[in-house]
Amino acid sequence: MSNATLMRHAGFVLRSNVVTAIAAGAALLLVLTAIIGPLVIRYDPHSSNVSIALQPPSALHWFGTDQLGRDVLARVVTAARLDLAIAVLAVSLSFVVGAFIGALCGYAGGRIDRWVGRFVDVLMAFPLFVLAMAMVAALGNAVENIIYATAIINLPFYIRFARAEVNVRRGAGWVEAARASGHSHFEVVTRYLIPNVLPAMAVQISLNLGWAILNAAGLSFIGLGVTPPTPEWGIMVAEGARFITQGKWWLVGYPGLALMLTVLCFNLLGDGLRDILDPRMRQ
Amino acid sequence: MKPRALGLIARRTGRRFLSSVPALVGVVVFTFILMRVLPGDPAVFFASGPNAGKAEIEAIRSQMGLDKPMAEQLFYYVRDIGTGNLGRSLTTGQTVSKDLASRLPASLELTFVALALALTLAIPLGVLAALRPGSLVDHGVRLLCTLGVCVPTFVSGLLLIYCFYYWLGIAPDPTGRLDVFTTEPPRITGFLLIDALAAGDWEAWSAAARQLVLPAATMALFVLAPLARITRASMLAVLGSDYIRTAEGLGLSRPRIIIGYALRNGLLPVLTIAGIVFSTMLGANVLVEKVFSWPGVAAYALDALLSSDYAPVQGFVLLMATIFVIVNLTIDVLYGIADPRIGME
Amino acid sequence: MLFSRRQIAFLAAGLLASVSFLANPAAVTAQTRAETLRQVTGGMINTLDPTAPGSTRESFGLSMSTYDRLFAFDRKKNGDGWIFDFNSIRGELAESYKISEDGLKIIVTLRKDATFHDGSPVTADDVKWSLDRAVTAKSLAGPQLTTGSLDKADQFKVIDPLTIEISLPKPDRLAMPNLAVVYPIIINSKVAKQHATPEDPWAQAWLKENTAGSGAYIVESWKPGEQVVLKRNENWKSGREGKLAFFKRVIAQTIPEAATRANLVERGDADISVDLPSSDVPGLMERGKVKVVSTPQFNALTLIVFATRIPPFDNKKVRQAIAAALPYGDMFKGALFGRGNPLQNGTWNGEPSEAKFPQNMPVKTDLARAKQLLTEAGYPNGFETTFSFNVGSAATAEPMAALIKESLLKVGVKVDIQKQPDAQMSTSVTEKKLPFFTESIISWIAAPDYYFRNFFTGEQRWNYSSWNNPDINSLSQAARFETNQAKYDEIIKKMVAIEADETPVVLLWQPNQDAVMAPSIEDYTYQFHRQVDFRDMLRK
Repeated sequence: MSNATLMRHAGFVLRSNVVTAIAAGAALLLVLTAIIGPLVIRYDPHSSNVSIALQPPSALHWFGTDQLGRDVLARVVTAARLDLAIAVLAVSLSFVVGAFIGALCGYAGGRIDRWVGRFVDVLMAFPLFVLAMAMVAALGNAVENIIYATAIINLPFYIRFARAEVNVRRGAGWVEAARASGHSHFEVVTRYLIPNVLPAMAVQISLNLGWAILNAAGLSFIGLGVTPPTPEWGIMVAEGARFITQGKWWLVGYPGLALMLTVLCFNLLGDGLRDILDPRMRQ
Repeated sequence: MKPRALGLIARRTGRRFLSSVPALVGVVVFTFILMRVLPGDPAVFFASGPNAGKAEIEAIRSQMGLDKPMAEQLFYYVRDIGTGNLGRSLTTGQTVSKDLASRLPASLELTFVALALALTLAIPLGVLAALRPGSLVDHGVRLLCTLGVCVPTFVSGLLLIYCFYYWLGIAPDPTGRLDVFTTEPPRITGFLLIDALAAGDWEAWSAAARQLVLPAATMALFVLAPLARITRASMLAVLGSDYIRTAEGLGLSRPRIIIGYALRNGLLPVLTIAGIVFSTMLGANVLVEKVFSWPGVAAYALDALLSSDYAPVQGFVLLMATIFVIVNLTIDVLYGIADPRIGME
Repeated sequence: MLFSRRQIAFLAAGLLASVSFLANPAAVTAQTRAETLRQVTGGMINTLDPTAPGSTRESFGLSMSTYDRLFAFDRKKNGDGWIFDFNSIRGELAESYKISEDGLKIIVTLRKDATFHDGSPVTADDVKWSLDRAVTAKSLAGPQLTTGSLDKADQFKVIDPLTIEISLPKPDRLAMPNLAVVYPIIINSKVAKQHATPEDPWAQAWLKENTAGSGAYIVESWKPGEQVVLKRNENWKSGREGKLAFFKRVIAQTIPEAATRANLVERGDADISVDLPSSDVPGLMERGKVKVVSTPQFNALTLIVFATRIPPFDNKKVRQAIAAALPYGDMFKGALFGRGNPLQNGTWNGEPSEAKFPQNMPVKTDLARAKQLLTEAGYPNGFETTFSFNVGSAATAEPMAALIKESLLKVGVKVDIQKQPDAQMSTSVTEKKLPFFTESIISWIAAPDYYFRNFFTGEQRWNYSSWNNPDINSLSQAARFETNQAKYDEIIKKMVAIEADETPVVLLWQPNQDAVMAPSIEDYTYQFHRQVDFRDMLRK
């Protein structure tokens, strides 16, 4: 499929598939919010004022205020940047490392392939969330460690996926041609094979973005998430959950909604991508 | 099936099992090291009480064998696993194998029920979507299932409790597998639904079933999407295949084609995914167990992890890895039986 | 088919019986429900022997009901509720006791009619064996009883089957209270000895999973980490005025999620919970479906700790500066929801007028003073540090940390917040690696000198600030053996004054214990161990 036809095809899918189009729009909006949101909000997400704690949404504070009187809207908007950063960095890390290792294995085969396969088996056999918990507990709950933990538990999927895809293409004519025209093995893998399997992996990436955010939220719930007072959706939801029974719904409602919509948007986008890339599914 | 084919499957299964042994050993060693990297010192944590000084801490440390070099500790640990001894939990004061044995049925029962619930919802939804791809129904199903994956399980769990227990008052109190005023049926399998049935104790059976509904629904919501998606995809593939067209050409009724022919063939990939989903759920239902005070293995491991109690976490991970291997093997064998070509390879 | 009249009568009787059988369970359940106390808690019971290393607080609370001790603290009215009375000790298994003139001997006469759960009488031999075990066996009991000068087996002497003599090397004001705390349980030695082995002469392994006591309740079933069910001991003689416990059955259940615990009590499915976060309490009170008994925990204390051996906190001026920069009012309101007893804004200067500890200290938020002190200490532009708390206390510590960070930034001190899993936090605290953190302390023995000895001297973990002040070291030892009340009070005032000036820690507050219970529950008593004592309560 050439680029032009792909674009045309994508246009067709977007037009005929309203859900994907909306998801794509929402994703764009989300990224925009993350970038310019913190610049336009009215309140400092960190500044407390105990005298106005736990106020319901009002004209002054659209999303209400939290336990320390901080503006929930400001915190939800600021958190977008961090949450997206965690998701994007974690997924790209596991993608880059996973695709490279997987492609190498699929291309080279033999002993490397077997050893890496064993390692992947070990990782796959782990209860993954517990592994993430243990890693964050061991390394300390800083943002970068949450990213590493999320990346590592995603790694086996990317390795397997890339390995399988490359394995299929290994004997293809254009790979042979690239070899014959004097490219090294390394170049063949990085410049030809990985770009070629990239579209297929894009689906996985999109789905994983949402999943990474949920993972961070789960870690926050058990106390192994981002350190306060940094605003992050997961930790806001986890803290707000304490106030559900007291009717202070806005504490969990708004960050929860932001979290949910973001994950939903990535998931629908992944589904749409699948449709674009896999015409068989489209019918 | 011919005995020869069965023998082939058995041999293949044996070989597959042996080949997963290195992975299990890898899991044991990796967990062992990971736990020792944790910055918390269990001896310090558990030597509580005023004036507990160096001597008390050292006493616990030697009791746990932590005063020995790490390689030696690992050696003893692996040797103990060989004899079925997984160590002792400092948190509960019991041996880890006893704790796991008493808690595993709770986790398994919940996961089985949740998976069954998810499948009974996901398969019809997936089929429905596949029958009219691109239609409003298709999009609706997709949106519905995807919504389930988007809510963290601890949030949906807490919301369900709030709605059905606190607000409407129709769910039983979310405090474990059986409400405290119901007597537990005599333990045979540890699965309350089965044990109550065996004892003919309907009161206990319905009490246990009622307790299962909310946590199982919470978990089912979360896995609906992958199951429905794979059902849809596989049904689409099957519906487009030649033999269905032939059946249509022969003028067979639509329901008969879908249920009799397409679904039977389309379910094979769903089975594979269900297996994977099952092992993932079992390891990942930490949060659900926490929220519903479910006395399962995952919540047990979490508590141990937070207090740097090594033995339970190691035992838990080993157990999960073993279950993972067994589930994969079972699916393999089932596949082999369903499709003899695979077995002959 | 035709029935004879007899058969019909028989059938009718059978039908009636089955109807009444169907109807009865509900009635029976309702009745047992009223006689059953159901407690829900976030913690878990991990041993039946409270002296076992690693025992949880919930295990301590349980042991109060399963075992008797020689003595018990009495209780006194506190507003609408009850609190234990540290200054009034009554006999539990002891029928009477005498202290010799020189204060070196306590002679205890046991109850004649007291029996263990298996029906055998409680004798002086059992008491001797149990106390020997407490001071000899490797357990939590030894270090605690040392604080009351009880550390050798030969201090306990059997005089006759109902009399035991306890001798002390020095008259120690804390000897009697130490016999009333959780650890010195009286065990049925005949039963325990049957399960003793040469490696385990004190049957510690067996007693972890079994009880052999004479207490008000008998363990009916126990699932470690899940729940314990108790039934009443109908032959219990050691109660207040010899009365039996009220509830026939007690169920103590572990429910990790605090919101669920609150729901359970509010819906009337559980009777009591004493470990709900302060954030839940205002809402519960507002809706008015439950009864809340709030007691400022006068034997508990939340601290902000400075490591006095790690720069820059080794400088007294820095400690004083930070103490002046902490946002006390906001923390009390925002983190604790005002549920407790704040310990700032003391009006005294130099020496306090009252010989009390903890008491209100003369500190308040004063950023200008903080800035000036920092400049005097050589940090005009502030410095960078970390502030740590453990995951277990996150409900209050997290908002507290956020407020501290914000407030200290105003005087130029940049704070990096560290939230650590409980095991990791206790390790770093023991290794004295943290410069600036928050901790909570509880003291079963609520005596001022005891606080100073255990929390402000020595090299052990509980001296959080690693404070080494020669005056405090000698004064706190002197106070222990001071029998003259006026002189004792002088020493305490001196120590409080030194503490206030040196500021090794900041006393934040004594949080309330908010016991949330069904409206029908009466007579809840706040105990020194801060757990529910099932023997105290009754249902109206």
